[in-house]
Amino acid sequence: MSAPAIEFLNPTVRPTATRTRLWLSLARAVILESLRRKDLYVVGILGFLLMVSAGTLGFFGLQGLETFAKDLATTVLGLFSTIVAVLTGSRLMPDEIRNRTLYPLLARPMSRFDLIMGKFLGAVAVTWIAFGILAVLTGLALALFGVRFEAVMGQYLLLKSLGLAVVCAVSLCLSMVMTPSAAATMGFVLAFGTTMIVRALTMAYETASPAMQWLFKLVNAALPQYGLFDMGSRAANSGWGPVPLWVVGALLGYAVCYSSAMLALAWLKFRRQVV
Amino acid sequence: MKPAIFVNDLVIHYRQKNGQNVEAVRGLSFEVEPGEVVGFLGPNGAGKSSTLKALMGFAPPKSGQAEVFGLEAGSLEAKNRIGYLPEVALYYPYLTPLETLTLYGELQGLRGASLRHQATELLEVVGLGGAMRKQNRHLSKGMLQRVGIAQSLLGEPELLILDEVTSGLDPVGRKELRQILKDRQAQGCTLFFSSHELAEVEMLCDRILLIHRGQLIEERRMAALKDELRQYQVTFTGQVSMVGLTDDLTSWGTSTTARFESKSLLVQALERIFTQGGSVQDVLAQEGSLEEYFVQTIGRAA
Repeated sequence: MSAPAIEFLNPTVRPTATRTRLWLSLARAVILESLRRKDLYVVGILGFLLMVSAGTLGFFGLQGLETFAKDLATTVLGLFSTIVAVLTGSRLMPDEIRNRTLYPLLARPMSRFDLIMGKFLGAVAVTWIAFGILAVLTGLALALFGVRFEAVMGQYLLLKSLGLAVVCAVSLCLSMVMTPSAAATMGFVLAFGTTMIVRALTMAYETASPAMQWLFKLVNAALPQYGLFDMGSRAANSGWGPVPLWVVGALLGYAVCYSSAMLALAWLKFRRQVV
Repeated sequence: MKPAIFVNDLVIHYRQKNGQNVEAVRGLSFEVEPGEVVGFLGPNGAGKSSTLKALMGFAPPKSGQAEVFGLEAGSLEAKNRIGYLPEVALYYPYLTPLETLTLYGELQGLRGASLRHQATELLEVVGLGGAMRKQNRHLSKGMLQRVGIAQSLLGEPELLILDEVTSGLDPVGRKELRQILKDRQAQGCTLFFSSHELAEVEMLCDRILLIHRGQLIEERRMAALKDELRQYQVTFTGQVSMVGLTDDLTSWGTSTTARFESKSLLVQALERIFTQGGSVQDVLAQEGSLEEYFVQTIGRAA
């Protein structure tokens, strides 16, 4: 062997990794696995189909329908990237446990919190790569209609990215408390149904009893407010313009707080779990 | 010096899917000294893997103590000094063995050229030099076990905890592994491993711990046990009485074969043969069967 064991008899000379390095190493492995598993190829194919569809619309003479094209593009972009976020976030930890790849990881001098953080960052990175690929292809598709890139589109992409990170955190948390398929289903229900649920709660709030109003508030606070991150309609309507910077800051704060809460819950469930 | 492993009155419970609690380990106590090679034996379901998991912090004990070099089992400081091979582990299917070891090395705190050098060298040592850039999904079970062995050796651990170490290895692989472990032991590493391969245990261990139904039922030094299990036999001619030494006699023609349970009985028998005018034709020392000992001891405890 390269170094004699005697060098390590004093534990103080043993190297340890910093937290950031641990997280980045874990995240890199998630990205590498995902790339090699060709998960992102599916995203590329979907993006290509988007471009072909846009080209077809262009062929039939729909140029000038900017609002329609942008609305369609942001909807499809949001839909596909959310699917990637939910599936990636809800699969990582159960896969580790099922495949027993968890043991050699947990045998390293790192905490279970570090493992969850590394996996979360990996899921976010994979989702953002997929989102990036889709965004570029969608941008090219929009360019076929002669749509210019506006500041509000940049804001849409930024806030959507934050929203996708929250989706990853929620899906990862769900996967710690239920089966992978249940977690994915619940992840999709929350991702695509929360806006409707919140709207229903808002409508029912006015006529509800004080006790129910309190309950509605609680449910509303507990639900992930994905709708806040979706500026698709705003981006589609050129006249609306970007939101003030403080709104972006507030949403960044909300994303950090909500994701942290989800990861903390996942850690609480996982920290003493027998594996 | 603090023991490499200290387990005192360890109790581990599991909750089964039907909600029932299962007591996997019941008041287990033992110690392993630094530099020792200790085999941890027992039938399936005896609590071996549970104990090893408790030592790694994977299964928190219900009560009792588990320490590694005086540090709480499962603590980051303790894990920093342990190399662990799980009983069954798959490694990321889309990573190569080199990338797998690089990942684990980084988590261990190793970096850069030193990590690359160590990962490459370990893969060479375990015989994966030619396959280190193939993805794990293309490797056989035995090759994956070699990846596992290589990752357990990363960072020059002071204690190796190996669960079913020879699982999936062919005879050549087993021999190579034995040599690797012997080299580690020579460097001062403590080895604590479970195995159903009693031949490996016999060749490697200083001491064995035998557990059954979560409890320690026997603790033996390997050398003493081998002595105890070894059978001696002498074939002689002449009218020599073996009364008081053995009843296990076989006669054919003018020859008699007598079998003894200990060396001292054999020596006494030889003295009798010489003094009573007999003639020794053959003396044989036959190694006893560890498997037989294992089966009998477990049978007694059941």
